[in-house]
Amino acid sequence: MAREVISTGNELSALGAFDAGCMFFGGYPITPSSEVMHEMSDLLPTVGGKFIQMEDEIAGISVALGASMAGTKSMTATSGPGISLKAEQIGLAFIAEVPLVIVNVMRGGPSTGLPTRVSQADIGQAQYPTHGDYASITLCAGSLEECYTQTVRGFNLAERYMTPVFVLLDETVGHMHGKAVLPDLEEVKASIVTRKRFDGKPEDYRPYDVPMNEAAVLNPMFEGYRFHFTGLHHGPTGFPTEDAAQCQFNIERLVGKINTVAAQNDGLDDEADYEEFMMEDAEVCMIAYGSISRGAKEAVVKLRNDGIKAGLFRPIVLWPSPEKKLKEIGDKYKKIFVTELNMGQYLKEIERVTGRRDFGTLHKANGRPIAPLEMVAKVKEMF
Amino acid sequence: MAFNYDQYLRVDKMPTLWCWGCGDGVILKSVIRAIDKMGWDMDKVCVVSGIGCSGRFSSYINCNTVHTTHGRTIAYATGIKLTRPDAHVIVVAGDGDGLAIGGNHTIHGCRRNIDLNFILINNFIYGLTNSQISPTTPQGMWCVSAQNGNIDPTFDACKLAIGAGASFVARETMLDPKKLEKVLVKGFSHKGFSFFDIMSNCHINLGRKNKMASAMENLEWIDSITTPLKKWEALSPEEQINKFPTGVLREVEQAEYCDMYEMVIEAAQGKRAKITQDDFAKKI
Amino acid sequence: MFKTTNPGNVPVWVNTDNCKACDICVSVCPSGVLGMRYEPTSTLGAMISINHPESCIGCNECELTCPDFAIYVADKADYKFAKLTDEAKARQAAIIANKYMSLDQAGVK
Repeated sequence: MAREVISTGNELSALGAFDAGCMFFGGYPITPSSEVMHEMSDLLPTVGGKFIQMEDEIAGISVALGASMAGTKSMTATSGPGISLKAEQIGLAFIAEVPLVIVNVMRGGPSTGLPTRVSQADIGQAQYPTHGDYASITLCAGSLEECYTQTVRGFNLAERYMTPVFVLLDETVGHMHGKAVLPDLEEVKASIVTRKRFDGKPEDYRPYDVPMNEAAVLNPMFEGYRFHFTGLHHGPTGFPTEDAAQCQFNIERLVGKINTVAAQNDGLDDEADYEEFMMEDAEVCMIAYGSISRGAKEAVVKLRNDGIKAGLFRPIVLWPSPEKKLKEIGDKYKKIFVTELNMGQYLKEIERVTGRRDFGTLHKANGRPIAPLEMVAKVKEMF
Repeated sequence: MAFNYDQYLRVDKMPTLWCWGCGDGVILKSVIRAIDKMGWDMDKVCVVSGIGCSGRFSSYINCNTVHTTHGRTIAYATGIKLTRPDAHVIVVAGDGDGLAIGGNHTIHGCRRNIDLNFILINNFIYGLTNSQISPTTPQGMWCVSAQNGNIDPTFDACKLAIGAGASFVARETMLDPKKLEKVLVKGFSHKGFSFFDIMSNCHINLGRKNKMASAMENLEWIDSITTPLKKWEALSPEEQINKFPTGVLREVEQAEYCDMYEMVIEAAQGKRAKITQDDFAKKI
Repeated sequence: MFKTTNPGNVPVWVNTDNCKACDICVSVCPSGVLGMRYEPTSTLGAMISINHPESCIGCNECELTCPDFAIYVADKADYKFAKLTDEAKARQAAIIANKYMSLDQAGVK
């Protein structure tokens, strides 16, 4: 049975993690994400899960990664400055293939920026949060329901692809308070993915000895399958190597297991990678995600009342971007309008995929949301 | 038949990558003998190391091993221990790893008194990166990042650990592996944060630049700056500042973090009342 | 891998594959059993050599302090070790004075 709750985005993200089987949270307080932590400190011990507030952002993710290495589903939550501090550990999670969900409730930046105000300026950071080559998975919630469902999905993707997954909320969605209809708990439980494990003889266990485009098979610690975690390039059993062919293979596999797989299978899983709103007969396609997409929906309706057939495309999986769909949109719609709460971070990706440069745009980075009427006025300029 | 280290080692990784005469190997052997004395099941042991020469420590011991990023060992180990309180977690870090870049985690690991065995291999220098000053490099020594001599004051790692609340604090050198093994066994048996400051040599990157270019000369210097606690206590304050006391410096029973977390779980599950100040002897 | 088994009724034996010629075992021996020899094929130009096994007292110091799992001492139960003599002590002092080189080798490195 679907569940009706009154809650906030941050709290629903925590609830999603809890329902997805998360048993460990490590973090450090930061506005505007702290409520995720508050909620987890309340929820986790009720089922014997562990919560710890660490001494800094770096320790916050390190402790969560340690727990995930030991075999637990684990998460951390923070905001942009926290991600900047966690960057090096995120890199270790990529190369050692340690699953982790990282919730980033976006605020204005750079640096301390606008701590209490909304922004979507961490889109680029989510794509490349740390040095080196890898591919990131980034989900972006646009509603209270999605704060819940995308966090659940984040855990499933992390465990399936053995990688850190970003769940992006922006300050507006994170602090939005209202009614949400959550999916049936049994249905959620039935959808849960848990990392693969090797059940053969311990002496045959080679966690990183997997074919191209497949994820490592990491068994929980302390169960007889001994191996080595390292942030160095490593061979089949996890031990450091500088072998040129092995290193090249490692990187191609890290990128391929996400980007190539997503391109081949048209997405990383069966869930929706985007939402289309009144797109069928639209003459102008608006593109927006996160909290801004809510205003954009209202703008679509207002534009239609004024006689302009508008539609909205809202990506949910930002990275790897839904390339096939974006390409289709680029080919189909003469007029495309992109609006974001940054100076055009996703616009670049849309330009790259569609090969077009003739977009109507509305970008803001002042910590304020964009009102539907501002969008309406901008779209009208395109006619 | 000599002591058989094979069963505890990843023998295919031998010989070690450490320089000739490096104390890391002696400490590795002492840790293995201490594990043997403890009778631990190696499937239940986890060794976590950081970056630096000491970072290689984890790859040689045949158990669950983690080679983390620079300085973050204690944070990773805390996650592992909190998830599996039944596991035996040994953390190995160097003086740069554990006191400089990871100093904050060392302080808070001690403060939480979580049951980790933290082995600080203190060789007074950044060895792997070729001789830069560390928080323990004596003033006046010459290093490549202090071309005119080091002016940075040093600190006493054990005093830091005691101040931060570690319930077991000991200092030993790698000069006496038997004593080292005994102290390790004592610390491994202790419930709570066990902090070992183990002084070791780096004749390559500290010694060659400071008139102790061989392992033996470097070790003689370490011998000259350490003295057993009992003897140290008898020294005058002027003499004390130039000697490090060795032995067990602190051993107290103190609530352990994973145990305390059980209180949280019980409170959350309604098996006990919410935790209040009355649950703790120390109120401030 | 390690030569932990006594190769044939000896008090002390080495695995030269593991030895990095650091001198530590020579320096801790109380009875002048060990010494270094010039060995052009070794990285540091020297290699450990057991010159006076008959003087070994089985104190185990060399094995304990070897960082590289390269030197092994027999069990007290399996081997009858010598007692420490003044002659052995004097030889050890001479070896240290000779920069840890065996006494038939010139003490320069």
